[in-house]
Amino acid sequence: MKKEVNNSRTHLAFASFRRNRLGLLCLWALVILYGLAIFADFISPYSYKDEDRDFSYCPPTAVEFLDHGRWVRPFVYHRTLTFDAVHRRVYVKDLTQKYPLHFFKGGRLLTVDAPGRFYLWGADARGRDLFSRIWYGARISLSIGLLGVSISFILGLLIGGIAGYYGGWVDSVLMRLCEMFMMIPGFYLMLTLRAAVPENFNSVQVYVSVVVILALIGWASLARIIRGMALSLRERDFVLVAKTLGVPDIVIIVKHILPQTISFSCATLMLTVSSYILAEAGLSVVGLGIQDPVPSWGNLLSDAMGIVPVIFAPWILLPGLFIFIAVMCFNVIGDALRDAFDPMFRDGGVE
Amino acid sequence: MIKHIIQRLCSTILLLLAVSFFTFWLMHTTPGNFFDSLRLNPQISQDTVARYERLYHLNDPLLVQYTHWIINILHGEWGYSFYYNVPVTHVLGSRLFNTFILSFTSLLLTWGVAIPLGIWAALRRNQWIDRILSVFSFATFSTPGFFLAVLVLYAASRWGALPLGGMHSPNYDELTVVGKIRDTALHLVIPASVLSLSAMASLQRIMRGNMLGVLRQQYILAARAKGLPERVVIYRHALRNAFNPLVTLLGYEFAALLSGAALIEIVCSWPGLGSLLLTAVRSKDVYLVMSSTLLAGVLLIIGNVLADILLTWVDPRIRYEKRS
Amino acid sequence: MLKSNVIKNTGNPGLKSGEVANRNNRQEAPGFSPGSVTPAKAGIHNKICFCFLFFCVCSIIPSAHAAASRYGGSLVLAVSSDPKTFNDIVSTDAYSGAITAMLFEGLTTADPFTLKVIPNLAKSWTVSPDGLQWTFHLREDVKWFDGTSFSADDVVFTFNDLIYNPEIPSPSKDVLTIDGKPLKVEKVDGYTVRFTLPVKFAPFLRSMAQTILPKHILVQSVKEKKFSFTWGTFTSPEQIIGTGPFMLSEYHPGERLVFKRNPHYWKKSPQGGALPYLDKVIFLIIPESQTQLLKFMDGELDSTPVRGSDYPLLKPLEAQKNFHIYEAGANYDSNFVTLNQNPGINPNTHRYFVDPVKLSWFTNIEFRRAIAHAIDKKKIIEILNNGFGLPQNSPMSPSSGFFYNPDVTVYDYNLEKARGILKQAGFRYRNDKKPYEVEAIGPFDKKPYEVAPLNNFTKLKQLGLFGPFGGQMLEDPQGHPVEFNLYTADAGTAGRTQIAAIIRSDLEKLGLKVNLVPVEFNTLVNKLMSSFDWDMVMIGLTGGVEPHFGQNVWYSSGGLHLWSPHQSKPATPWEKRVDEIYDQGAQELDENKRKVLYDEFQRIVAEELPVIYTVLNMDMYAVRDKFGNLKPTVNGGAFHNIEEIYIKK
Repeated sequence: MKKEVNNSRTHLAFASFRRNRLGLLCLWALVILYGLAIFADFISPYSYKDEDRDFSYCPPTAVEFLDHGRWVRPFVYHRTLTFDAVHRRVYVKDLTQKYPLHFFKGGRLLTVDAPGRFYLWGADARGRDLFSRIWYGARISLSIGLLGVSISFILGLLIGGIAGYYGGWVDSVLMRLCEMFMMIPGFYLMLTLRAAVPENFNSVQVYVSVVVILALIGWASLARIIRGMALSLRERDFVLVAKTLGVPDIVIIVKHILPQTISFSCATLMLTVSSYILAEAGLSVVGLGIQDPVPSWGNLLSDAMGIVPVIFAPWILLPGLFIFIAVMCFNVIGDALRDAFDPMFRDGGVE
Repeated sequence: MIKHIIQRLCSTILLLLAVSFFTFWLMHTTPGNFFDSLRLNPQISQDTVARYERLYHLNDPLLVQYTHWIINILHGEWGYSFYYNVPVTHVLGSRLFNTFILSFTSLLLTWGVAIPLGIWAALRRNQWIDRILSVFSFATFSTPGFFLAVLVLYAASRWGALPLGGMHSPNYDELTVVGKIRDTALHLVIPASVLSLSAMASLQRIMRGNMLGVLRQQYILAARAKGLPERVVIYRHALRNAFNPLVTLLGYEFAALLSGAALIEIVCSWPGLGSLLLTAVRSKDVYLVMSSTLLAGVLLIIGNVLADILLTWVDPRIRYEKRS
Repeated sequence: MLKSNVIKNTGNPGLKSGEVANRNNRQEAPGFSPGSVTPAKAGIHNKICFCFLFFCVCSIIPSAHAAASRYGGSLVLAVSSDPKTFNDIVSTDAYSGAITAMLFEGLTTADPFTLKVIPNLAKSWTVSPDGLQWTFHLREDVKWFDGTSFSADDVVFTFNDLIYNPEIPSPSKDVLTIDGKPLKVEKVDGYTVRFTLPVKFAPFLRSMAQTILPKHILVQSVKEKKFSFTWGTFTSPEQIIGTGPFMLSEYHPGERLVFKRNPHYWKKSPQGGALPYLDKVIFLIIPESQTQLLKFMDGELDSTPVRGSDYPLLKPLEAQKNFHIYEAGANYDSNFVTLNQNPGINPNTHRYFVDPVKLSWFTNIEFRRAIAHAIDKKKIIEILNNGFGLPQNSPMSPSSGFFYNPDVTVYDYNLEKARGILKQAGFRYRNDKKPYEVEAIGPFDKKPYEVAPLNNFTKLKQLGLFGPFGGQMLEDPQGHPVEFNLYTADAGTAGRTQIAAIIRSDLEKLGLKVNLVPVEFNTLVNKLMSSFDWDMVMIGLTGGVEPHFGQNVWYSSGGLHLWSPHQSKPATPWEKRVDEIYDQGAQELDENKRKVLYDEFQRIVAEELPVIYTVLNMDMYAVRDKFGNLKPTVNGGAFHNIEEIYIKK
């Protein structure tokens, strides 16, 4: 039996994407990031709130494998805090106190017994483990982006689809609505929306508000793209057929037109997620996003916005690296998808 | 062309009204009547409070309030800033100008660097310079602007040659005109370059893509076959056609720059509209928030209209289309 | 801004210098040289303050240069915020106060070293035998900025028409009202003014540091009842007329203020030359402390406050960048948390300012004591200030000298003790309750004590998205979960948001669900002074040497009686006692007897905990080496003698 070859545009596009090695690499990187974020409870030695004030700005703890020249179970030395002559923090290894690393104890991958502390990537000002906070923060930062994009996407699909399909005054009005949102520069719109949020919201409410705010700044450009595609799609034969058959408009839009647009809008979606992650980081850095103690990559970076922490505790900049990695991965995937859907590039790159 | 511009202006004015109503509505759904606390603040005269209550008809329904607000704006009365304790117009003017300088310089910088780089990358496709630029583009595009700004500030503090933040030196007023321009320019270096970096990245890639697309065209082949020097082929024929579509992006570019500028302004202490808005939002200074957002919208519209005009001028097809 | 009570003057009238020396010897500032950051000429009433240091200390080199070469140059400093007004009579925040201190002067001032009251605009005074009539002989060579001569008319105008004017909300009014009666101020002749006190008033001479404003400029606005908003920040600089060494030359909102030399200034150098030496003083408005630091490092600022956390960065650079760090001793400025005990009703909304459920917690002394045991002062100092700082237990700081009482109740950081106190007071932990008593709380539940099935909020919490809280939640005896908001504002260098974050996490360990809400400083002041819409606030007050100048805070009817303002009569027995202490202390001329009274006052505050103190910051400032005549003190800061400071060539 001959194998069926699926030559639909979407399939060809995704096949082309698969050939793009960089794109695949980034896709895997994202899968790993999200996976680690989901399992943050497991891979982190500590909760995000767990602070130990004796270890303020403790540098990353080295794992020791050798004890007096013999191979032993990995352990860490205790560290004590002293201040030197210019009041700089100095952590001294206490060779008499050893804390072996425990694996899979208490539902966590790596832990040490109290009062020892294990800081894989260093500690922040209050002695909270940066490694743990980065992964708990990954949950917030990465989920906000996805949730925001989902809402934007649904909004954009509906409004763009309806506008493109009906055309005429419906299209005009809806597109003016879109333009209205696009008329205010993103950050300004974000701040204005944030000003409308009561200040004493608790962390859950702030999270939801940030998601909604992000969704509202990005849906308009999505809607325009969808509308453009819907406009061209509605002239197609299958739509005319469906109309003649008496299929209700809304079903045509939802079942026939929108699925076609989804594949093309994938690329834009990826780019939107990356911009949302950056936007949330920007909001949190100025203190208007997710609030302490709940970590997000943005508000972890707000601790790093001073010359003093950066010079004396440079590990505090790590969340920036993660933002960079996540955003870059989304950008590369988005770019690769866009190239994949573009016929010229897809067919082996005609010179 | 004039007709086209007027059409655009009309629709944008309508849009502006819609934007202003949206911001207005948003600000007034915030719980808490800030006028109560104003009444109790002894440093704000009861006259001022009463005057603003009259001006803005605070006890009337929302739509009436909004109409009065718009009418007041058209009369130049933009509201009172309770944080700065001055009418809004006193703070808005200079800040607007500062943001404009920053955005405009970044725009020039972005386009001035990205276009040549894009051309260069296209001409040397897949060679090492192209790949490096590609990676660099992605990298700068993905770095949060404020993060980059912070890193650059620290690097500059080590280097010591550039002023770190702010817009003027303390002795600004004593400088000559040339001195003042130079002083502002020095202060612009860090914010404008950070702002341009990420915008440059995407623009460079788009230029490169456009250039590659154009170089594939038949008329380029024809030009080469005619024996024209490569320089003429590239710069007179290919470039012009590759560049035109980019002008449509000018409007979006400006929007992105304005938006990105806000965060950079905050990090670099550049006294612009963005940092003003942040202070206003934090202190719930309602009229200042509304005015700043509205003004940012106006700035954007002006940028878009200018971009449109530029496009019509640059692209003869549009011009001739309109004529016929 | 609430900065500490901006009473700069210290020392008591009528003290012999021997006693002054005693006071100085008693100053507790272990290991630090005395120094203060408050501007030299400040108001006499408490102001809510930003704990910020904006005057730099200058170096102490007596100059042997010829005076002529000293003239010229400018001094560049930083402030964290725009002033709210230039009107010194109505301003309540320390930023405005710091600016106006450059422009205005009072009849007396305090010697920055001995803390004794010394003549300023008044060249001498006499007092009647009964201590009630003071006659001040004013200097005759003082001119206002516009050249008009300063005279007794201005003094009488300032007191009778401005401060005591019932239509003008002047914070000084309270302090200068003794036993409910104002001082009688009358002009004797062009340069002589007589003050008649209703009863003996101990801080009287010191309170004569009250700044004097010009009659010929302002009398019109008083007649037109516009005075409160005259000289706001939109006034053009040349209209602000004072007698100080510098006059306002430019103000660019959000950017900078520029002061230029007052050519008519009355003080002369020891050689008889005109003062001040500097041409200009420029204040850059830099809200972010990090930017201030960067600008100092790149040379734009001549001075910057040095926080404990900045010290390891700056200290090693002293030689390379030609500056010195001066350690001035513990701040006067307090940092504390306070709970809203206001029982009143909002006249606009007809609802209680504070939810009665929360009010029952906040007015419970055991609740406050438990919170006091949850403040980890030692670690706060270590973590946030690299070890610079002192735990604060009482309203006065060790730098206040004579009146400071170290023997007050100290609440050690002990969470177990705190839990015990709460349990004894009837609070319970959910873990300790029977299963059928456990209820789930969500943001949408109206009656928290109704038992509800597992709702979405608890499901979300169980996902671990926002961390476990669960059974460790504290509930009051009626079963309400203890939950409230902690408002704070970052003001200058105080780092209050960080302190509040640490306190919040400790309170969480106690089972209290506290929502940290950082707001803008102005918003916070509005809440405290106008809308009274707050649960717990972390803020600070300026302080000083003379305890009476804290009257607007501690007097039950005082305007800054933050936790329960505007009481028509004292709400509790201890507040009644504090009122008595303030009344008696003001009228007691024997310093030792006063000390007994104010010691009791400090003990009462530490016992009753209307405010819970946290830590005192250390005043430190970095100043470039190029300035001569720097004589830093705790009381005056670095630039208290700004008219004498010059740039070494």
